[in-house]
Amino acid sequence: MTYMAIPNIGNYTIALATAVESLGIKAWASTATTPAALKLGIDAAPESVCLPLKAHLGHFIEADRAGVEYAFMVNSVGTCRLRYYRHMIGQILKDLGLKIKIFGLGFDGFKPPIVRHFDPGPITFIKPLFHTVQKIKAIDELEVAAWRTRAIEITHGDTTQAMNKLLVELSESRTMAQTRAIRKKAAACFAAIPVDKEKKPLKVGLVGEISFLRDKCLNKNIEYILGSQGIELRNFFLLGEELQNITRIVFLNQSRRKSLSKLADRYLQNSVGGHALDSVAYSIRCADEGYDGMIHLCPSGCMPEVSIRPILKRVSKDKDIPILEISYDEHTCGVGIATRLEAFADVLMERRKKNNSPAQRGKRAGHG
Amino acid sequence: MGKQMNNSCYLGIDVGSISTNCVVITPEGEVLCEIYKRGDGHPIESVQQCLAQLTAQLPDRFCIQGVCTTGSGRILAGAVVGADVIKNEISAHARATLHLYPEVQTILEIGGQDSKVTIVRDGAVVDFSMNLVCAAGTGSFLDSQARRLNITIEELSARAIMSENPTNIAGRCTVFAESDMIHKQQVGHEQKDITMGLCHALVRNYLSNVCNGKEIKPPIVFQGGVSANKGIHRAFKEALKCDIIIPPYNMVMGAYGAAIIASKSSIEKTRFRGKEASTKPIITQGFECGDCPNCCEIIEVLDAAEIIGRTGGRCGKWEGKTGPRESLRGTGPRCHVSGPSTGRETGHEMCRQVDDVPDLIQIGVPKK
Repeated sequence: MTYMAIPNIGNYTIALATAVESLGIKAWASTATTPAALKLGIDAAPESVCLPLKAHLGHFIEADRAGVEYAFMVNSVGTCRLRYYRHMIGQILKDLGLKIKIFGLGFDGFKPPIVRHFDPGPITFIKPLFHTVQKIKAIDELEVAAWRTRAIEITHGDTTQAMNKLLVELSESRTMAQTRAIRKKAAACFAAIPVDKEKKPLKVGLVGEISFLRDKCLNKNIEYILGSQGIELRNFFLLGEELQNITRIVFLNQSRRKSLSKLADRYLQNSVGGHALDSVAYSIRCADEGYDGMIHLCPSGCMPEVSIRPILKRVSKDKDIPILEISYDEHTCGVGIATRLEAFADVLMERRKKNNSPAQRGKRAGHG
Repeated sequence: MGKQMNNSCYLGIDVGSISTNCVVITPEGEVLCEIYKRGDGHPIESVQQCLAQLTAQLPDRFCIQGVCTTGSGRILAGAVVGADVIKNEISAHARATLHLYPEVQTILEIGGQDSKVTIVRDGAVVDFSMNLVCAAGTGSFLDSQARRLNITIEELSARAIMSENPTNIAGRCTVFAESDMIHKQQVGHEQKDITMGLCHALVRNYLSNVCNGKEIKPPIVFQGGVSANKGIHRAFKEALKCDIIIPPYNMVMGAYGAAIIASKSSIEKTRFRGKEASTKPIITQGFECGDCPNCCEIIEVLDAAEIIGRTGGRCGKWEGKTGPRESLRGTGPRCHVSGPSTGRETGHEMCRQVDDVPDLIQIGVPKK
């Protein structure tokens, strides 16, 4: 059996593994970077590059050691280093003398090189792709439901358990019918969790670099920590939404980026690459929608996210929304992150109490 | 009833990187006894010694009605003593300061390994910031420089305030500060001027790294272990050009805040393990979780054969749980791994060992 290593993007890796089957091969993947892989990456990469590159690199080195022959890496557009990730990773792997061959998504002619290399039949190719879309939609739904339920669940850990069970089933699902059945079951599963309906949880948006938003090893399990503090999350990277956005650009020529640029126009007119525009625009939108706070995850040395840090400070001041900056590198310690998150939750709670007091409400009505 | 109320008291424990502190207060917030103990890397023994000292100091008629732990060792300490509340140190410090100085606007806190700034407006915390990996703006910096000068930290404090013409020392990094200090020594600067120069270097580093972009408004309260150092107090006064308040109990503010939090938490029946927590030998044992490729080292805290708490997990399924090990296994979030294993994984069921792994890898044999 031929294997191909694919990058880790959290739970969505399960769906991407299905996509790889369209090439008639199997995926070598994990939903979170393992500490062992991260260590391999840190040893092999230059010290000053950002942590996501080290994580992906380590993952591919580990794959090579397991005897995997091929690897695949996305190369995004925009002025981020991610655009050169594949070339950099490929070069480092070559310098290390590893045999693994790394593919990108580039087109040269009608078929991308990756498809030409494996040359699958049309049926083998098309069917898993549709299945992948199904799975991505299913995972989107799971994520959204989990953020809501985890904040108000009565017994801690119920949501996480339900989510795990469904993800295992999803990773084992082989047909579209099975996946559809899981999607139907998921809603019932989450509805069955006993919750405190009276509780009005704090609402917090998560923005920043995508690997950190999705990989729970890199972000030190931030979604779980916040959820168990009773905070309802919105993580602004849903792969389903991203894909919808891409199809809109290709077929309808209406990019979500346009509406985001309009939103962020006062603060950011130039493209700084990566998901920097998204971070600024979503922070503004969340402030308008009455979120209690935002958390910005930023790998240290990430050019796009670092360049918008002063902008986010300004947004925070103008729109009166607290924004917590968390900067990660390989020395970041989980206890420090947990302490900051807990303290941030306390700050938001006090703010809400103060804003709900009659005096404040009168003041705000007067302004309005 | 009234008499019992008079005899009730609350305990706060702050387990920091350098010191372990305990404070006992009455329900009204009056301090009955305070203990500051420099630990030596044995948090459990330090907590036990503090408790033993405390039981000796506290009159017998007082009965502890609630316990709160804080600091970086809060979870472990919470398991050892049987804490009712476990709170992060940022909130605990702010709580104590707001209790003593309701009109405070800025709280500077410098401890052994951590330095924080907390911004308070109208009696509520609105923003905070904590040092990242660098310890150059913390107590450890002064400790190591004092050792280098071969004086105690108390002598350093006493000498610094006598200086009339402080030496300018580069304080960006402990290593640079040291080489600069050696240079200044050899040029012939007086020791009192060098010590004051070090204090200025620490304050400069703290203000530019931790307080970066924060609005420092008086009244300013300075607390934490380093606030006992008069040289730093003077350096802050000169740098911020305003009066800096050093509160009573400045060394144990975290523990004081924790005690206040315990007293306000309406605890019905405390889980405090009483005197026995300080006398019985408490041991810890570690094991590898192995439910997912993260392979967390879980630490179990044992009193005789009974498990009184667990720490060390990343996903939350072990934290503070006391049940038997097997009942907790397989409940938290985990990674889903597919493809051939590198042989590193433990008995993780999701790592499917595939039969047709190429014979490239042999477990235990180095690759080259």
